[in-house]
Amino acid sequence: MLVEFELIQKAQAGDGAAFNQVVVAYRKRILGTIARLIGRPEDVEDVAQEVFLRLYYSLDQLRTPEVFEPWLYRLTVNASYDYLRKQRRRNEARMSDLSEQQVMMADAAAGGRVSSEEHRLKQVKDLVDALLGSVSEQDRILLTLKEVEGLSLKELEKIYGVNENALKVRLFRARQRVLNAFEANQKGRSAKPVERKS
Amino acid sequence: MEHPNDKLRNDELDALFSEYKAALPDRDASANFMPQLWRRIEGRQNTLFRVKRLSQYFVAAAAAICILFATMLAVPNGNEVSSSYVDVLAQAYPTENLASHGILDEADTK
Repeated sequence: MLVEFELIQKAQAGDGAAFNQVVVAYRKRILGTIARLIGRPEDVEDVAQEVFLRLYYSLDQLRTPEVFEPWLYRLTVNASYDYLRKQRRRNEARMSDLSEQQVMMADAAAGGRVSSEEHRLKQVKDLVDALLGSVSEQDRILLTLKEVEGLSLKELEKIYGVNENALKVRLFRARQRVLNAFEANQKGRSAKPVERKS
Repeated sequence: MEHPNDKLRNDELDALFSEYKAALPDRDASANFMPQLWRRIEGRQNTLFRVKRLSQYFVAAAAAICILFATMLAVPNGNEVSSSYVDVLAQAYPTENLASHGILDEADTK
């Protein structure tokens, strides 16, 4: 735990300064997790604020200190899921307005403004975003928490409140789908492979 | 047994995921983060407060209407019926009249 439970208790009692301290202690970690869950840096703060807003209004339901972090992760997962669902709907509408050529030109223009390392990282980010786009929002989040955030099955069990076996099955299926998408992507790019870190 | 090609793909995917984490490292919030958060908290508080007050008004109005109806039922009104329906009918139509209408024999009325 990054903070003492007494601090959380003070925040529960309505102490604004204590709540501030809790937010300050966790915000960097939560911002990083959200950035990787949603893949859109420009909206990370907005989603993080939604997480802490939900934390503020549900803090009185917390009884034991052990569950604080899984609980905070759960709020993060829910807020990210809500965001991704809205975003998918918005993107479907927006992308249908652009021709393929326009999309390619916009991509190329964006690529030209950044350094080669930034460009490579952007390619990695775009590729992972596209691969994670092959699974549902729930599976995307679950897979990101496991594979990118490095959470253990035990931690995921606490966050999701389901047993380890169910999580394993779901993770396996999601990973298979991502692997298939990865394979299809690699085949498509076989003439021009993706730049990778040596 | 896992196919060597599958293992390679799995390893490549793992490497890609760790590069993804490097591409999106933990970051600190902007200076506006906390003020904006408190603004949102206060905004929600005001909305909740308004909804709570509105629901209190509704509850008070509903209670007042209930009391009004209960009072209307409890207070007896002036034209309360003291006799039964048959008695009222008998009073309105005496047996003599029934005989004149041919409903009863005159002998029965005596």
